[in-house]
Amino acid sequence: MSKYEWALFLHITGAFLLLGGAVIAGVFNVAALRRERPSEIATLLQLTRWGVAAVLIGVLMTLGFGLWLVDIVGYGWGETWIVLSLVLWLVSNALGGIGGGRDKRTRLLAERLAAEEDGPDPELQMRLRDPVSLALSWGSGLAALVILALMIWKPGA
Amino acid sequence: MIAAIRPDSWNLPLFLHVLGAIVLAGAVASVALASAPAVALRGLPFRILTLVAVPSWLLMRLTGQWIDSKEDIPGDPTWLGIGFTVSDLGLAVLLVATATAWWAQKRPGLRWPRQAAGGLAFLYLLALAVAWWAMSAKPGA
Repeated sequence: MSKYEWALFLHITGAFLLLGGAVIAGVFNVAALRRERPSEIATLLQLTRWGVAAVLIGVLMTLGFGLWLVDIVGYGWGETWIVLSLVLWLVSNALGGIGGGRDKRTRLLAERLAAEEDGPDPELQMRLRDPVSLALSWGSGLAALVILALMIWKPGA
Repeated sequence: MIAAIRPDSWNLPLFLHVLGAIVLAGAVASVALASAPAVALRGLPFRILTLVAVPSWLLMRLTGQWIDSKEDIPGDPTWLGIGFTVSDLGLAVLLVATATAWWAQKRPGLRWPRQAAGGLAFLYLLALAVAWWAMSAKPGA
């Protein structure tokens, strides 16, 4: 395999980890919305951490190997699709980071309630459906999806 | 390099193909996680398979065929063969995993159906990783 093929494979692997991890987190978050028992919700929110770990590795791989690809192929650093992708990469990480912090507090509440009576709790349900947290998490995923589209259409290339 | 000379008309099917493959990989990983012995979530692997994994497989496979019809690739390159093999055998694996996950939902006392569904999902995830290596690095191209 050439240097270009390695860089492309690892960059695409990063994209699979980033977006695939977001799918994992999304699947378990949606499943948590349909449950009432804190122990089940806590289990589902604990599983989202696997997705978050994949996203974090993917974030680093897409950027690192993406920059390497720009260098190997000889794209211009000022090309529209590259600039937009880098901006959206920052936006996606910022939204995901803030949303992730809020989700962590929800998970800790679910774990605490599970250790106590493990009965339905209005505050936990309210936090799970908090529109700000949902907008942050889904907005982060949407920004990553737009980056994927930019990688394929390459506007301004 | 291929990306730089790709006709614009290939972009939509390629985007949908990659999107389908990524969602499929995430869904299959979710099934493997939700089937783990320590996780007691009855019915979740079956719902992920039917609502996310199978639809995303269809998206990936149909758009893959769409690109293939546009691209007119000469010969029968290894990378394309790997992609089609993983894709087509993968449907059989997905359907068996779905059947065992359904059985696990109906018979929560039995451990083997859930373990089988999780094991098949994990194996298919590994096969998908081979496919995305083949489709991106294109060995034999």
